[in-house]
Amino acid sequence: MDYARFVRLRRPLWEKFEAQLAAARSGMTHAELEEMALCYRQVLHDHALSAARFPGTAVAQRLRGLAIEGTRALVVGRTEGSGGLVAFFTRTFPRAFRRQLPLTGVALALFLLATLWGLAITSQRPALGIAFLGPGAVAGLEEGTMWTDSLVSAVPPALSSSMIATNNISVALTAWSGGILAGLVPLYVVLLNGLLLGSILGVTMHYSMAGELLEFISAHGPLEISLILVAAGAGLGIGRAVVIAGDRPRSLAVREASRDALTVLLGCVPWFVVLALVEVLISPSPDLPASFKLAVGLSLEALFLALAALPSRSLDTPT
Amino acid sequence: MDDRESILGLDNIRLELPIAGVGSRTLAGCLDYLILGVILIAWTFGAMLFLFAMEGSSWAIVVFIAGFFVLEWGYFAISEIVGGGRTLGKKAVKLRVITAEGGSPSAGTLLARNLVRSLDLVFGIPLMAIDPLARRLGDRLAGTLVVHERTMVAAPVIGRVPPGWGPRELAAVESFLARAHGLEDSGRTYEMADRILERLLRDAPDLLEGIDLRANPVQAIRRALQVEEG
Repeated sequence: MDYARFVRLRRPLWEKFEAQLAAARSGMTHAELEEMALCYRQVLHDHALSAARFPGTAVAQRLRGLAIEGTRALVVGRTEGSGGLVAFFTRTFPRAFRRQLPLTGVALALFLLATLWGLAITSQRPALGIAFLGPGAVAGLEEGTMWTDSLVSAVPPALSSSMIATNNISVALTAWSGGILAGLVPLYVVLLNGLLLGSILGVTMHYSMAGELLEFISAHGPLEISLILVAAGAGLGIGRAVVIAGDRPRSLAVREASRDALTVLLGCVPWFVVLALVEVLISPSPDLPASFKLAVGLSLEALFLALAALPSRSLDTPT
Repeated sequence: MDDRESILGLDNIRLELPIAGVGSRTLAGCLDYLILGVILIAWTFGAMLFLFAMEGSSWAIVVFIAGFFVLEWGYFAISEIVGGGRTLGKKAVKLRVITAEGGSPSAGTLLARNLVRSLDLVFGIPLMAIDPLARRLGDRLAGTLVVHERTMVAAPVIGRVPPGWGPRELAAVESFLARAHGLEDSGRTYEMADRILERLLRDAPDLLEGIDLRANPVQAIRRALQVEEG
């Protein structure tokens, strides 16, 4: 087809599509959208023709612009878990959580290993504990006081709980986002936290204060460790897609892994807020018995797992 | 010229995207961090005044710290979600985030690409520099691209094609006509127009019948080729 004839015949369509693009910004009906999609297909083919037959001309440039604009307006990224907060926490999150469960298991195993290692080395050489806890805390332990007493009582609870919550979320976010570096950052976070917990346990056992430590962490510890491990597991999922993409293009594998990982991470965020309140109001309180703290910790953990891992039967049928 | 990388759209039709390079993206990023810095300072200052007025109410402290955290981690994601893939800095530099298919990214996609921002402060710039699609870690994670935004302007289109003219000639004459008004040196403009007219006289003298070639050669080309805007 000759250039002038092509322009004469097809220009009304391009102008119509341009008008539809402008109208689409202020919302459109279903019928209008269908018509626009039809026009888009034709514009796209005109673009292909002009790019091949009349490259560099004004019409080819205009059609290229229209094709790009049209694609942006009509191709909309899939939103996982649309349908409100309730659907997210009862359907989307548990589904993603279950798909990530093996990796969370890997994170848990590594964490336990690091904890045992930390426990082993500090019970052999308690002096190493000073490196982890700082000389001040160890001096306190020698006098029979826990450093956690001063940790939260010196500042108003609102301040410390907000600080703790944001700090925990930051750790989870770092573990998650670092997955893109082939999973190295979540591995580091898991191993470091395991090592720290193990060595702190070892040091407090040496000064016969492990009971106080366990009492302090029993209310918030189980869930806090679970959430960090879940976030790290999601980060490991991203890292696995980076390293072993399988037979798909790596970019596609990473994107798909990130979708589940993001769902899992977002599902964890509200729990961090609950945890912060517990960590400030219940954990350090001397009036509450240790059994109560332990009950709170276990029931929080059970509630999280029940909501996340035990979905209702209807979930098994994919929608 | 900008970098152009193509993706395959619907029906495997090649779409050449005006990919934004590391320079313009770093500029937009710097603007955004500047804006974020100002917002955080204003937030802190406002919170201090508020705390003073509330005499250290605990809720005020919670709101302040939570707000600071959300701003720190969420400024980019929130402003991209609200602005349709454009933060304020991107608006200023005329950039936009799109998906790897050329479509509009979902909120989750924009959130994912911005959660790894702290890592991209270290790795982002070299990655953008070596990748032909200028993707940083966040773009690879979420499957997004950043492109230049172009406002479409009406350009002259030739309505009558002389025999033997191919796309090369059409493109050259059209781009000359589009720029003829803006050229500063009118002597050179007329010189170029005369060369086009000479070529027209050789290829299709019948198109120039009844047109005064001496008065304004640019107008003469427009009339001979029935040039329309659009």
